Amino acid sequence: MLGFLSNIIYATVRMAVPLLFISMAELYSERAGMVNIGLEGLAVIGSLCGFLMSFITGSVWIGILCGALVGILINLIYAYATISLCANQIVYGMAINILAPAVASFVYRIYFGDGSSLNQISLMKTISIPGLKNIPLIGPLLFDQTPMVYLAIILVIFTAIFFNRSKAGLNYKAVGEHPKAAATLGIPVIGTKYLACIICGALSGIGGAYLTTCYSTTYTEGIVSGRGFIALAAVIFGRWSSGGILIACLFFGLCDAAQIRLQVSSLSIPYQFFQMIPYLATIIVLALVGSKQAGPKANGNPYRKEER
Amino acid sequence: MERVKKSMTGFLVPVLSIILAFLIGAIIMLAMGASPARAFGALFKGAFGSAAAIGTTLNKATPLIFTALCACFAYKCGVFNLGGEGQFLIGATAGFCAVHLTGVTSFPGILLCLLTGTLAGDIWGLIPGILKITRGLNEMIISIMMNYVATLFMGVIYTSWCRDAGMPQTASVDESVMLPRVIPNMRFAWAFVPAVVVGLLLYYFLYWTSSGFKLRAVGLNMTASRFNGFPVKTYILTSFIVSGAIAGLGGASDLLGTQYRLINGYGVGYGFDGVAMALIGQLHPIATVVVAIFFAALRVGSTSMQVATKVPTSVSDIIQALVIVFSVAGMALTQLPEFKAFMLRLTSRSSGKKEERKEA
Repeated sequence: MLGFLSNIIYATVRMAVPLLFISMAELYSERAGMVNIGLEGLAVIGSLCGFLMSFITGSVWIGILCGALVGILINLIYAYATISLCANQIVYGMAINILAPAVASFVYRIYFGDGSSLNQISLMKTISIPGLKNIPLIGPLLFDQTPMVYLAIILVIFTAIFFNRSKAGLNYKAVGEHPKAAATLGIPVIGTKYLACIICGALSGIGGAYLTTCYSTTYTEGIVSGRGFIALAAVIFGRWSSGGILIACLFFGLCDAAQIRLQVSSLSIPYQFFQMIPYLATIIVLALVGSKQAGPKANGNPYRKEER
Repeated sequence: MERVKKSMTGFLVPVLSIILAFLIGAIIMLAMGASPARAFGALFKGAFGSAAAIGTTLNKATPLIFTALCACFAYKCGVFNLGGEGQFLIGATAGFCAVHLTGVTSFPGILLCLLTGTLAGDIWGLIPGILKITRGLNEMIISIMMNYVATLFMGVIYTSWCRDAGMPQTASVDESVMLPRVIPNMRFAWAFVPAVVVGLLLYYFLYWTSSGFKLRAVGLNMTASRFNGFPVKTYILTSFIVSGAIAGLGGASDLLGTQYRLINGYGVGYGFDGVAMALIGQLHPIATVVVAIFFAALRVGSTSMQVATKVPTSVSDIIQALVIVFSVAGMALTQLPEFKAFMLRLTSRSSGKKEERKEA
């Protein structure tokens, strides 16, 4: 029983991490008033780039780095169109969702051809923290993981401190709450919004790259399978706070882990019913939480300097 | 005059975006060492070169028209229905089950399939709609989650419940319910006709009836419509139901027209493609139909292009994606105050010149 439980928890952490990176990406974006529904696309291209560069160079770290870079690059298109041209953020996010996977599958076909040969890379090694990993139950869960898990934990803690305890973080939040007021205080609104898009692109690229460097050994179309959209739900569920988002991601990670476990354990029920669990859980959770607006006030609105 | 100018930009921006996207496509081809002229030639010939090719194009366009109109109608009412794919697939799945399980054949079978498909599609659309108006939930997230559920449910049908012997697919529908071709040697089935009819009906409804006007008003300004006493929630719910029904009807008629069976990978991407086409068509139903046919041609043609020049078909996906990236940005650009001022200066200068000429 203990073994089963720790297996589930271990899998939960592993499944929650990519979601956590992508949700944090959305948090940084929305805190500056930029709703980005293009996360799915960014994660797809991040996962491809992470895989491809790891495959070429043999280093998963270069893969992750390139995933982040390409995420930034694609998200800068979104940034330019929505910040400088004031295009509708939702519509442009959709455009990114269409563009990025198209580019990803094109690059994959060009590089690997149409052949069905399986191209694999070796996954990132786990690093255990001596001492701490000997704590029973939680030791191996939290302190015998890939470095990405530690990075995700650091990111959550840093984000919590940044947004709640630092002046820079409060300035950043002001851009999402009331950009005009922020501008009168001398906060660079446009600059902050671009910064938000860069952070968002990098984190969702990393989230995507995690999937191909730490989770699955190969890239397949549909590997992200809606995590970009579940991340949007996680931000709402987590009430735009990094602690809340952590809990939300662990919950969705648990659904994913349980789904995989159940698929293996009962063969009489079609496995697709178990695969539905994360998506149904998202709908149910959102329906229960409702819509009490807790997000940044100016979320999704374009910022025009001259307008009063 | 103002209206003419507006529709001119509405027409020019997508056209310029398409030209720009094709230019970038040509650059990609050059980088791959292929001749763009030959590639585009093969593409055009593959899509429109013969009666058979045109038939294939129209056939390919049919499901896209349905999902594009589904996205277009919901967006006109100000809601983002991103669940076109799920509504399409659940329509196809329900339609398939209805004829497969009851065994009804010929015309009653066709009618039964289309009706169940439409009904299933609008139930699928109703769920995000109800959650939006009662719980205020974001319709985009819910409708996307419903897409995954629909795809997986279709999977249950073709891998377990209605599996056809060894293969992970269902048996094909009875021959008597398959829709015949409109013109014998052109490969497009009667499913294409309802697609276009739905487009015309939406145009009539949206632009020539008072409910259509109100629905567009809700889409343009929800708060103002509420203060004017329009039943905003009813309109939102209706738009979800209707757009779900359109996609569901699309799924069922595509099943009877071309697909005949449920199989892995069916319908992947139709939903988002539909959204893209509705946006490029400036949310005008007729323009949306035209855009859908255009992109279907691009896809059909890209297969012949791949054979002739070794340029992979996925170039056409990139071109399509670039068209939407450019056209949305382009429309936003024309709305910018700086751009408007620039255009004003440009037009006033030219009209000033005319006056000078008159004086001379």
